[in-house]
Amino acid sequence: MIRIEGLGKVAGETRILRGLSLEVTPRTVLGIIGPSGSGKTTLLRCMNGFERITEGSLEAGGVRLEAGLNEKEYQRRVKELRRQVGMVFQHFYLFPHLSVMGNISEAPVHVLKRPRAEVEQEARQLLETVGLGKSAGRYPESLSGGEQQRVAIVRALAMRPEVLLFDEPTSALDPRRSNELAGTLRGLVERGQTMVIVTHSMKFLEDVADRVLYMEAGELVELGDTAQILNDPQDPRTRDFVSHAD
Amino acid sequence: MTKPLLLLCLLLLPIGAKAQAPLRWGADPSGGAPYVFADPAHPDRYVGYELEMVEALAAAMNRRPEFVPTEWQTIVTSLQRGTFDVVVNGLEPTEDRARVILFSKPYYIFQLQLTVRKNETRINGLEDCRARTVGTLGNTAASRLLEKEGIPFKGYEDPVGAYRDLELGRVDAVLMDVPMEAFYARPNPRLKPAGEPSHPGYYVIGLRKGDEALKAEVDAGIDKIIRDGTLERILRKWNLWNEAQLDLRPKPAAEGAPGESQPAEVMKYDMTSSSFNWPEALWRLTRAAGVTVLLSLGAMVIAVTLGLALAVGQSRGPSAVRWFSTVYVEFFRGTPVLVQLLFLYFGLPLVGLAMPGWLTALVGLGLNYAAYESQVYRAALEAIPKGQYEAAYALGMSPVLAFRRIVLPQALRIALPPMTNDFVSLFKDTSVAFAISVWELATAYRELANASGEFLLLGVIVSAFYLLMSLPLAHLARRLELRLQRRQAVRAVEAEVAG
Repeated sequence: MIRIEGLGKVAGETRILRGLSLEVTPRTVLGIIGPSGSGKTTLLRCMNGFERITEGSLEAGGVRLEAGLNEKEYQRRVKELRRQVGMVFQHFYLFPHLSVMGNISEAPVHVLKRPRAEVEQEARQLLETVGLGKSAGRYPESLSGGEQQRVAIVRALAMRPEVLLFDEPTSALDPRRSNELAGTLRGLVERGQTMVIVTHSMKFLEDVADRVLYMEAGELVELGDTAQILNDPQDPRTRDFVSHAD
Repeated sequence: MTKPLLLLCLLLLPIGAKAQAPLRWGADPSGGAPYVFADPAHPDRYVGYELEMVEALAAAMNRRPEFVPTEWQTIVTSLQRGTFDVVVNGLEPTEDRARVILFSKPYYIFQLQLTVRKNETRINGLEDCRARTVGTLGNTAASRLLEKEGIPFKGYEDPVGAYRDLELGRVDAVLMDVPMEAFYARPNPRLKPAGEPSHPGYYVIGLRKGDEALKAEVDAGIDKIIRDGTLERILRKWNLWNEAQLDLRPKPAAEGAPGESQPAEVMKYDMTSSSFNWPEALWRLTRAAGVTVLLSLGAMVIAVTLGLALAVGQSRGPSAVRWFSTVYVEFFRGTPVLVQLLFLYFGLPLVGLAMPGWLTALVGLGLNYAAYESQVYRAALEAIPKGQYEAAYALGMSPVLAFRRIVLPQALRIALPPMTNDFVSLFKDTSVAFAISVWELATAYRELANASGEFLLLGVIVSAFYLLMSLPLAHLARRLELRLQRRQAVRAVEAEVAG
């Protein structure tokens, strides 16, 4: 569950986000689209504390961030937030010095202090579901781009986050891999995962997103069900963007 | 880290102490014949007329002699910093030295002898040298005489080098105290004396200012070994006796017949290498190589740990720490390691911190290399992409945990090849420790080569020692580097594929 109210961000003289309010219901996928520089990645990064909000509030996984918190309290809440909100980066950022298993088990073992054997067993099951059951001992350098991404997803899932954030997940994938990823993500949603996905691919949105948010210049332009936004946008700006996409 | 240090202690500290304070005496054994030098027949042992004299003197003082090999140029400073209690090394009582140390009464009257090449016809005395260069020992009565006379001269570290250069024509004459001349020049068929010995002077024992009690003890000891003929017997054995020495007899003196104290055998000054004991020399070199290895290891441990602290301090510390780290790095990188060692060895005792030579070398090299290592780490830390931090933070890791588990292991991987390279050069840099009289491989080479004249063969052997120890390291560095390059190549290709 994510609830955002009047969220804004100003960095120095520049306004990046303004007056955003929205909700993401559990077990659904929200897609965020918009032209480059519209603030969609910044919004995503606000959701796990990489960017600090300067107006309004944001609540995810039961942790509430708001503008004007003192530094200590903010850091404490961000730490809490990151246990509830996982992130899969555009370039995955796997740890090259650790094996696939090491990448996945590092945080659950050292941050959550869970027993290694239990973590590894769970990791093996997760790897199985994404078709990497035999790759636990391999190193990132020997994995293809698609395999690296699936490891990154499993790594985030191993922390059992309530919400999973994706930044441009299809940018490194060919259309077939893109379809496979959509299938994988839908499978996760059926098992209870909530997700927010920033993407440029309308096809991918159609496959995975329940609702879509269109942003421009840091503001919410239109928010609605995927089919409605893609096929029957109400705002002329949305219509223009969607008609030129893909 | 404690284990090699402990071994080093055991190796360098004298074992077993006696209740009576030992008489610690300093002299430069490198090219030190006939005063004190490594015995070519047993390079593991020192011999020399002064060594025998100190033994007799210490016996007269009821003390145990303890020889501290040191470096001639800094011998007075080493005395002052307390490395030993007396200098017995053919020391002349010059005025400048009188300002900083005490002198005992004289124990030997020496003269200076000019030596030239066998075929020399133009030079028959000092007066013929006005327009030529004369070789001599630096910082001696001979060098001061040449300076006073306005004769151009070249100061050498040891007599071997001076006479060698005379043979090679690099200087036209050499002026040296007769004992050294008798040992190093007279047996050489390519050299000959020019004129008679001249300019007599005294050898005295040097003591620290304020050590009046010890001076009284030493003076009494000198009187005793002169009066009972012990010193004469030693000097005769070493072929250094002459009538002039009679002037040193305490008055009133019982005139003894010269024949009375004739020693059983007279020393033959033999500089040919046939008598050089190679097995012992090799054993000594091996031990010196051990010191070199322990010095490098100890210094590297300091460099690696302190370097990491400096790197983290410089890139992440609060501004005061950052400032200090930068100043530290620039200072130690910007000044020669030799100067740093001399400062630590001779400068720090002035503020009450006197470390033994080996510890000074270990700490000094460690402090110096820490500056270099810190920059290696810093470059390695900067090479870790921001994404690695973000990925770690996104998984809920604290900055400390992310640094320790994610960033540091990757940075160390990058830093390892240059670190190995630095270790190889640190290894060779331990040779500067000879400047503060640490008995490592380079010091051993100089001393044994001077004792035997085997500069070439010993040089090859010593180089082989260094190579034997550094080549495996260099090889390791190359392998690590190749592995890392392969890894980076794989990553670069992937990045390209990923767009």
